[in-house]
Amino acid sequence: MIQTKNLSKLYGNFKAVDRVDLNIPAGEIYGFLGPNGAGKTSTIMMILGIIKPSDGEIFLFNEKYTPNRLDLRKRIGVVPEKHPTGMWTWMTGFEYMAMFAEFFGLKNSKERIKHLLSQVDLLEVGNKKIAEFSRGMLQKLSIVRALLHDPDILFLDEPISGLDPIGIKQIRDLILAENREGRTIFISSHLLSEMEKICHRVAIIFRGRLMAEDKMSALLAKLAKDREIHIDLESIPSQLSDQIKTFPFVLDSMEQDNTLIIKVSKEGDYRKPISEYLIKKNLIPLRIEEKSLSLEEAFVTITRDNVQMFTGFPLSEGGKQ
Amino acid sequence: MSDRINAAKVIAKRKIFETIINPGFYIVQTIGLLLGYFLITRFVQSIDSSGFNFQLNPVYDLIGRSLEGALGATFIDKLFSEGPFLFALYVSFIPAFLYLSVSSVFKFGLEKKIGALELITYGPADGTSYFMGSFARDVLITVLYILVLVVFFGIAAALNNLVLGPMFLYSLVLIFFISLAIYAYGILASVLTDNAASSIALFLGALIFFLIIMFGSFTIVSGYVRNLSNVIAWIIKWLSPFFYWDLGLRAVESGNSLFFLLSLFLLLLLSGIILLISHLTLNARGVRS
Repeated sequence: MIQTKNLSKLYGNFKAVDRVDLNIPAGEIYGFLGPNGAGKTSTIMMILGIIKPSDGEIFLFNEKYTPNRLDLRKRIGVVPEKHPTGMWTWMTGFEYMAMFAEFFGLKNSKERIKHLLSQVDLLEVGNKKIAEFSRGMLQKLSIVRALLHDPDILFLDEPISGLDPIGIKQIRDLILAENREGRTIFISSHLLSEMEKICHRVAIIFRGRLMAEDKMSALLAKLAKDREIHIDLESIPSQLSDQIKTFPFVLDSMEQDNTLIIKVSKEGDYRKPISEYLIKKNLIPLRIEEKSLSLEEAFVTITRDNVQMFTGFPLSEGGKQ
Repeated sequence: MSDRINAAKVIAKRKIFETIINPGFYIVQTIGLLLGYFLITRFVQSIDSSGFNFQLNPVYDLIGRSLEGALGATFIDKLFSEGPFLFALYVSFIPAFLYLSVSSVFKFGLEKKIGALELITYGPADGTSYFMGSFARDVLITVLYILVLVVFFGIAAALNNLVLGPMFLYSLVLIFFISLAIYAYGILASVLTDNAASSIALFLGALIFFLIIMFGSFTIVSGYVRNLSNVIAWIIKWLSPFFYWDLGLRAVESGNSLFFLLSLFLLLLLSGIILLISHLTLNARGVRS
């Protein structure tokens, strides 16, 4: 559905995007991650036809895409990071939506506008002027505006930034619901915990280059050097930690209050042999949990390792070189 | 193409509405009309048995001396050959015209800067749809204002026992076509720059430059400017809307309708070329500032 080949963007001598190949099939929620200045926005802007690539090709819906292909643009919905402040302030929420319905030549759009506004709790304020909308309300309005023409692809740039927890949940539910209806969703965000909850696949871009792209679980598994099993016990007998270390798959073991933390090698599920061993010793595990790498940790791993690879210097604690 | 035209229509509709609800538009119109009416009534006071004599009224005395010094006696004769209406028409038209053109340039620059233009172009619209809509708003509002001027001057002439001459009517047509070219320059200025302030600076700078070139071809200002402008004017007069204004007025004066139509056609052609350049530039530069 969205494909880029060798996509590059040069600003003078600076390579903002360097030979990025993306391939996003229909129906996927695709997370596009990267720190500030990594090339995320430039990539998105090229795909949307706002800026011209220096090199490479873009295909949308299996057709070669150029900015003049308004017919293809029509099938995309876009939520920019911020609603343009100070614009169309004399319009009400309904009028704003109606203007975009006219852009797309939608007939009888009133019902759809009402339906979309109700999904994000904006129906009651639909007759209020946009000038009176809060940032969160504008963000929600922006999202339903992008869905108005029933696009096949929805591009979201930081869709939940500036929203309160209820707003975040509403938008998350809306994204998931739209995806269930078959819409392909491309999200760029730095809120990694949210991305982890909704994305099927993620890509990490850093210094203009695509560093990793995979299914969420595969990416995390690939990056995990080791895993941890956390076991809560009523009490931890002395020597238990050292005894656990004798298992061939155990890399390390330590205690933290009444929790036994066991580092195990990457492959295999070791919860069963460990719990059997504990039961044999008359110790009842109250909770057994395998801790895997979070997307945030994976992100840091990828970017940190590559900074070191490119520059020879590791990142400092503050994230600066 | 139909998507682009539809988007331009939607943009024009909203921009016209924005203009109509803005009190600034009515304020400048009122100022223009009051100034026009003031000039007509003072003109009547400057007529004696020998005809129009601008020394009879202090306002016209001041205007006459200033314009004669700047533009020459021939120009003054031409300007007042049909009474006060030609001069009053320009005086009434300029405030609203400047308001419309500068507000368009300002809006374009602002909307580009804050990302509103970009938002519009996420869909079946592009930068060209936007400026076509903006241009359509300028043209339609100008037509509307010219109609207001026709009614206003018609009433003013009747109230003061004066007659609107052919030069006045030809001038109405001419200022409309000159406006098109100037609005097109406004679009080009907005396309070439990144924010509202620089767009306005470039637009007004270009207008002032064109005026200097034109005035330089009359016997005005310093000899240096005159000599320099003669050379530059020869090269760039074809780019200046004011050149065609002069051309059109001369055609009316000499009663040459064909020449007048030619000047209108050339103004249209100039507007078209500037819009085409704007389209190509916007395509190359993009809608992001």
